Amino acid sequence: MEPLLEVRNLTKVFKKGSSGEFTAVNGVNFCLYPNETLGIVGESGSGKSTVAKMIARLLETSGGEIFLQGEDITHAKGKALRDIYRQFQMVFQSPAASFDPRRTLGDGIGESLKNSKTAKKEIKKRVRELLVQCGLPEDYDKRYPHEVSGGECQRAAIARALAIQPEILICDEATSALDVTVQKQIIELLGKLKKERGMSYLFICHDLALVQMFCDRVVVMKDGRIVEEGRPDEVIMHPKNDYTKNLVDAVL
Amino acid sequence: MSEKTASVTVRRQIVRKDHTKGKMIFFGVLVLLLLLMTIFAEYICPYDPNQQNLDQALQSPGFAHPFGTDRYGRDMLSRVIIGSQTSIFSALVLVAIITVVGTVIGMICGYAGGVIDSVVMRISDICLAFPGLVFALAIAAILNGGVQNAVIALAAISWPKYSRIARSQTLSVKNTEYIAAARLAGSGSFGIVVRHVLPNIVGSILVTAMLDIGTMMMEIAGLSFLGLGAQPPTAEWGSMMSGGRSMLQTYPWVVLTPGLAIFISVVLFNLLGDTIRDYMDPRNSRRG
Repeated sequence: MEPLLEVRNLTKVFKKGSSGEFTAVNGVNFCLYPNETLGIVGESGSGKSTVAKMIARLLETSGGEIFLQGEDITHAKGKALRDIYRQFQMVFQSPAASFDPRRTLGDGIGESLKNSKTAKKEIKKRVRELLVQCGLPEDYDKRYPHEVSGGECQRAAIARALAIQPEILICDEATSALDVTVQKQIIELLGKLKKERGMSYLFICHDLALVQMFCDRVVVMKDGRIVEEGRPDEVIMHPKNDYTKNLVDAVL
Repeated sequence: MSEKTASVTVRRQIVRKDHTKGKMIFFGVLVLLLLLMTIFAEYICPYDPNQQNLDQALQSPGFAHPFGTDRYGRDMLSRVIIGSQTSIFSALVLVAIITVVGTVIGMICGYAGGVIDSVVMRISDICLAFPGLVFALAIAAILNGGVQNAVIALAAISWPKYSRIARSQTLSVKNTEYIAAARLAGSGSFGIVVRHVLPNIVGSILVTAMLDIGTMMMEIAGLSFLGLGAQPPTAEWGSMMSGGRSMLQTYPWVVLTPGLAIFISVVLFNLLGDTIRDYMDPRNSRRG
């Protein structure tokens, strides 16, 4: 099967001070297939968020290539990049910080529609539909980010990501800032959307239990490298790599 | 118990917010009165501010002349009122120019970064390295006197302050997740700067601008005092103080009345700026 998203030899080197260098991501390869949920797990600083940012083109790559449906998007800019963003969207770690504090949730959710020249009335209607779809009352479009709870805000963030109907959703620790019950609701919402829309998720997470429950496939990262890859049950129950063993032991 | 405490806290917050709002309205009204006085100065003046009347010279404040008269017998009250036009309006124009210019430059530098940023920031470093008033003196001297040139001179040296603030604020806003989200929503750089960066940095810039109105009034008055701002017979508070400075001990009202006018307006603008800053503070949740 043709992969939706493919990452080849992805590398990111940060300059540290005047001479030092720090390799955050070091030659990472993986594929994301249609209607699949790929989990990326690893401890803090293992480079998983950096991978997400590079794929979303929020961060320049230092090496390697990113392919979206066979098309090289590693250096896409301007108009081409804006077109690419119609195919994938991102949900961020801290719900409240991912909405402009001076704008309503409705503004935030409708921004991508506004940029694709949708009529104002239509935007309003769509935003309300999206809010309901994500389990929020439709009058939340007039609320400001500080007026809703973290879980509600993350639902709104998912609504925003869905607004232009992308095929891929990158969830960068999307549930980490939420408490366990809200986490479960968000995961259920994501699962429902996956079934309804046939979406693919790149699910970045440090919670192994969540990954085991939600992901079809998982890659384990350590110090910027992929150390293990496979089905979550296999990886978590029978880890081959020492680091994965440690990671699993730390939870159990 | 805890419920009670919570409700008490909430009430206190509301009270404080209303208080800030009330203060802001109070000072806003006072400033508005000041501005109205300025706009309608011609109609308020009891005497022609430029009419010399030598046999009435240097009269002390009294019934006929509440602020006394200067050495040419001109009514000080009328001159102070008409002088507000030059002093306040030139300060407002000056602050408006440097705020807009400085903010635009700062946002471009902060958001674009790279070569533009380095070049513009080095230029602003040069501006900041000179003692401000000395630099303004030099420019004003080249351009010759006059209020207009004083404003140009002060604008030329004052914009870097705003571009610095705008730049640093832009840098901190630029790396937030909501800017990343806006980019993912397909917004271009211009749209992001106008829709997301500007509204989030404009508060602190406006507050700085409000607090700067007073400073700029003083600087314009200072240049006029030194003879490089308003030229006689134009009534301007700084040049009026300068004209009367030899008489401070004998006829103090000639110096003190325009001085008092500067003092009151500067304090008013500063207090308004302070309360606006309190009100704009994001911790005071607005638009409840």
